[in-house]
Amino acid sequence: MKITVDILQVLLLILGAPLVRGIIARMKARMQRRQGASVWRPYAELAKLFRKEDLVPPTSSAVFRLAPMLLFGATVCVAAFVPVVHASALLASGGDFFLLVYLLALGRFFLSLGALDGGSAFGGMGASREALVSSLAEAPFLLGLVAVAILASRADLAGIVAWTLQQSIFNISAVHVLAFASLAMVALAETGRMPVDNPTTHLELTMIHEGMVLEYSGPRLALIEWASAIKLHAMLALLIGLFVPWGMASGDSAWGIALALLLYCVKAGILMVLLSVIESAVAKMRMYLVPEFLGVASAVSALAVIFTMLAKR
Amino acid sequence: MQMGLMGASLFFLLSVLGVCVPLILIASHTKSARKLAISLILTASLAGCAAAVLGFLRQSPPLLDLSRITPFPFLLVIDRLSAFFLLLVCAVAVPVTIFAVPYFDLHYSEPRRNWTWAFFSLFLLSMIVVVTAATGFAFLAGWELMTLVSAALILIEGDSEERRHNVFIYLLMMHAGAAAVAACFFLFLPYSHGLDFEAIRTASATIPGPIRTAVFLSAFVGFGTKAGLIPLHLWLPRAHPIAPSPVSALMSGIMLKTAVYGFVRFAFDFLGGGPWWSGYAVLLVAAITGLLGILYAIAEHDLKRLLAYSSVENIGIVFLGLGTSLIFLANQAPLGAALALVAALLHAFNHALFKSLLFLGAGAISNATDSVDLNELGGLQRRMPFTGAAMLVGCCSIAGMPLFSGFVSEWLTFRGLLAGSSLIGTKAQIILPLMVGILALIGGLAAACFVKTFGVAFLGRPRSAGAEHAREVPLGMRVGLLLLGACCICIGILPGLLLRPLVSLAQVLIPGAGVPEETLSIARIIPWIAAIVLGTGALAALLKRRERLARTWACGLPELSSRMQYTSTVFSKPIRFVFARAYRPDRTVETLPADQPYFPVSISYRSVRTTSYERVLYRPFVEWVVSLAHRLRRLQTGNIQIYLLYIFLALVSLLTFLRFQN
Amino acid sequence: MDLVGIATGQILSSFSVFLFLTILLLAVARRISTAVLLFSLQSAVITAEVLATAFQEQLPEAYVVGVLVFVIKVVTIPRAFFLLADKLKTVRDVKASTTPTQSVFIAAAIIYLSYAAVHSYGQSMHVPDDALAAAVSLILTGAFLMVSRKKALMQMLGLLVLENGIFLAALITTFGMPLVIEIGVFFDILIGLLLMGIFTFRISDTFDHLDVSKLRRLRG
Repeated sequence: MKITVDILQVLLLILGAPLVRGIIARMKARMQRRQGASVWRPYAELAKLFRKEDLVPPTSSAVFRLAPMLLFGATVCVAAFVPVVHASALLASGGDFFLLVYLLALGRFFLSLGALDGGSAFGGMGASREALVSSLAEAPFLLGLVAVAILASRADLAGIVAWTLQQSIFNISAVHVLAFASLAMVALAETGRMPVDNPTTHLELTMIHEGMVLEYSGPRLALIEWASAIKLHAMLALLIGLFVPWGMASGDSAWGIALALLLYCVKAGILMVLLSVIESAVAKMRMYLVPEFLGVASAVSALAVIFTMLAKR
Repeated sequence: MQMGLMGASLFFLLSVLGVCVPLILIASHTKSARKLAISLILTASLAGCAAAVLGFLRQSPPLLDLSRITPFPFLLVIDRLSAFFLLLVCAVAVPVTIFAVPYFDLHYSEPRRNWTWAFFSLFLLSMIVVVTAATGFAFLAGWELMTLVSAALILIEGDSEERRHNVFIYLLMMHAGAAAVAACFFLFLPYSHGLDFEAIRTASATIPGPIRTAVFLSAFVGFGTKAGLIPLHLWLPRAHPIAPSPVSALMSGIMLKTAVYGFVRFAFDFLGGGPWWSGYAVLLVAAITGLLGILYAIAEHDLKRLLAYSSVENIGIVFLGLGTSLIFLANQAPLGAALALVAALLHAFNHALFKSLLFLGAGAISNATDSVDLNELGGLQRRMPFTGAAMLVGCCSIAGMPLFSGFVSEWLTFRGLLAGSSLIGTKAQIILPLMVGILALIGGLAAACFVKTFGVAFLGRPRSAGAEHAREVPLGMRVGLLLLGACCICIGILPGLLLRPLVSLAQVLIPGAGVPEETLSIARIIPWIAAIVLGTGALAALLKRRERLARTWACGLPELSSRMQYTSTVFSKPIRFVFARAYRPDRTVETLPADQPYFPVSISYRSVRTTSYERVLYRPFVEWVVSLAHRLRRLQTGNIQIYLLYIFLALVSLLTFLRFQN
Repeated sequence: MDLVGIATGQILSSFSVFLFLTILLLAVARRISTAVLLFSLQSAVITAEVLATAFQEQLPEAYVVGVLVFVIKVVTIPRAFFLLADKLKTVRDVKASTTPTQSVFIAAAIIYLSYAAVHSYGQSMHVPDDALAAAVSLILTGAFLMVSRKKALMQMLGLLVLENGIFLAALITTFGMPLVIEIGVFFDILIGLLLMGIFTFRISDTFDHLDVSKLRRLRG
């Protein structure tokens, strides 16, 4: 029964990802006083892309052809790590957060190679900027997760979530507040959202993630877009699971799981509103201000780790 | 001469490599002689692997005692630590030898080829002696032989002024390090009878504290010079790029690991952990080494120098694990010490594999395109698919990507650092978890560096005629590359193969250690992750449709040229900009003006990165030594009476000393 | 009644977290208006702390102090700042001499230093470590702001943050300050600020800018 729920969690993360994207786009549109497209439009877009033919540059090699599959596989594997409705997931008991972060890095590695294989300047530019942002974002990502893991004395995600469930909801610990702040900043950088990268830009000189996928089309582009949506959904679920997991089902009962699902939707909704507000309110940062942004995130996460010493004295 | 069956096989190994092969090669220049010599080398390497595995499994270590025929005691013992490193040496030697056969055929002509193979086998011999030595004399003899033979191999390649200067610096620093290593041994002399390892082990229980500290420091400095820790790394980017590629592979892959072996032997086996501050010192130096190494690597566009600096970075990661282990040892936490030691040793092994793979790939590239400058390569994946696949495996491994070997050792290092948070009440409780951030930064920069390396060299359009006309390399080279690539993938997906022996090795070196849980859990979960990633990828591949070739969008221009692509220098610019304090380039801009002021004939821009170590550290030291030597010259007056006065003064001071001694 | 008790207990145990957050945000703030808003947020948290202490220790005069803090520091002084900034027509930028990353690392170091420093004192005075460390951090942050921001308005704000810290430290160690001393301190600060405001106005009038580093040109 546990395995079934775990598999359903993975499917929820994968299949619900385009919906998350659609909801955020709709909220942003409403905040900017536009009508906005339907929240189901990303599904239609994926279906359309899967039906189109694949265009491949003549100078590209097998790396270009295989990169989207590997990116998709790595991101699906990441989705298997994150607990959503109960304090466990397919890989959450054996695997830990270092594996999660490095699987994301694996996907990004091959996507950057695919971008360079196109032979155009935009691919190189996107890959070079992505290299800068991702190399600086790894340290605060891991340090924030390390701070939470030290408090829980566990490194596997299931254990951390189970430990957090046992803490009182009113006990605001400084470590958690700081870790959440830094992980939120890293999540913006990792998923390519404002103020680090504008996901809806059409100016190539301002693109980071979009610049890397300019040469892709058809099913390969669908896989890449879907993988990026799954990454966003998984980061949202990770933030919820690590910091506000109360309401997760503890037993196997169907009612408990349904209630947990409902609560998850509410929490995810709140985070999506926050994300839409941030995206609509701030402007995209200049490229060389992103290291400052990530430097602030590193300092905050380092402070969170230092605070764990005070908590564990 | 004492030897059992194992000893006999060791003797066979040594005599083949040390005596037979060079004699054959020097005596005759025929092709069949060379073939015999090469097959002897391969057999010897395979026998070495077998000896290592057997030495690991047996209770009593096999030994070979040649003391009757050598002036000083010469004893070789394959205990567990030696067996591991012997396996490392021989397992890397086999593919490198296979690669080197067509490489040296194409690269050299007679008689250089024979001399190269002769020195090649002597090089392997010296490294085997170093890792299996059980007396001080054997160790130091092997150590010196390694340095001299590798210098000879570099000089066979060419004899220009610049090359000789680089070899001179290499020899100088290696001998300074060797002096420190010799000091380590000789510091034990007053307390132990003789310099064989058994005597040293028993003596180390009785030596006083200050001597312990001195031994640790000289071991750190001596082996650190050989390993390439900053700021003693200057020789690495000078020596490794100018050697022929198989030799670079051996130097970067194996020779650096002999320094790791020496340090582990002294710090863990003999001393049982250094003074309480030793772990922190090693950790600090290792962190700086790792970070600066990868920053310098990112800025390079010469492939071999990039790989040399990347070796510096990986040695930093190995010593990060060793420092963590020392900290755990000093705080009486044997389980954490075992975990960190396993992580460090596994990373050393992985680095030997993938760094050799990368250097051999660089050799293949230079063979096919006559250039190792990344800004002149491109599009090689379509022209050299096997080399490209092998290099892709190497780049993924060194970047620490999951499902490849480099990830497992980095993961174990991370878990070792995280485990430091359990040392409540010590400084390590905070410092070790904070080091996770530094290691994460190093790992992120390494991934960026090797995206650049593989992407610029193999993908996109060729940037020069040499790259355009590249063809796949001969079969021998391909076999060597694919063997190493297969090993990397194998360890990446089934790490348990190496982890179990490493844990038993750690239990020998660190008394009281159990089996760290992390080594078991990673071996359990990685195959599942491989299954999910590859399975989902395969399923996704089923969804693809018919492909059609369509030109890359060129913003309305008729065609893109290869000059419009990103080059290696440009790719790394954002990172170099952010970390500008680590680089201080000398920039010169020269303009050739013409008659009209705004249309010069040419503008050239030259940016040369100078490492400030030479200016800040080495040059003042060298100048001080030279000025000291100048001042000491005044003692040499040429006057006979002054010399007689020296003798008289020596006598008088001896008598005074004797008087005050009583 | 029990709910109020829980709420006050909660406030007392976790308010320092919010103070640390405001310290970190002040370090990265790039506009004067953001900094002033953060200061008023800080003062609001301190007001909550005062009222919670008043409830717990059953001190009626502490309620008065709390209301005073709210009126003066959360409402009046920020209002005055905004009015002054408007009148002076000054550029909004804070003109920091350290980059945001460096500022945050310095703020983190300040917080760590305060914890290390108060550890022994907290034990002997039977006060929670967090609160005292928050007070010391506020003092050091105020000093840091005064040193690293070149706008005269930011120097005033730094002084106000410093005073916040002193007030909080006094509050914690005396479990509710006697009202007289508190009023005395308030008036001190008020007069000081008034004088600073007048001088700032005059400086801006004469020189057309408020960059303190340029005042160096006045020396002989």
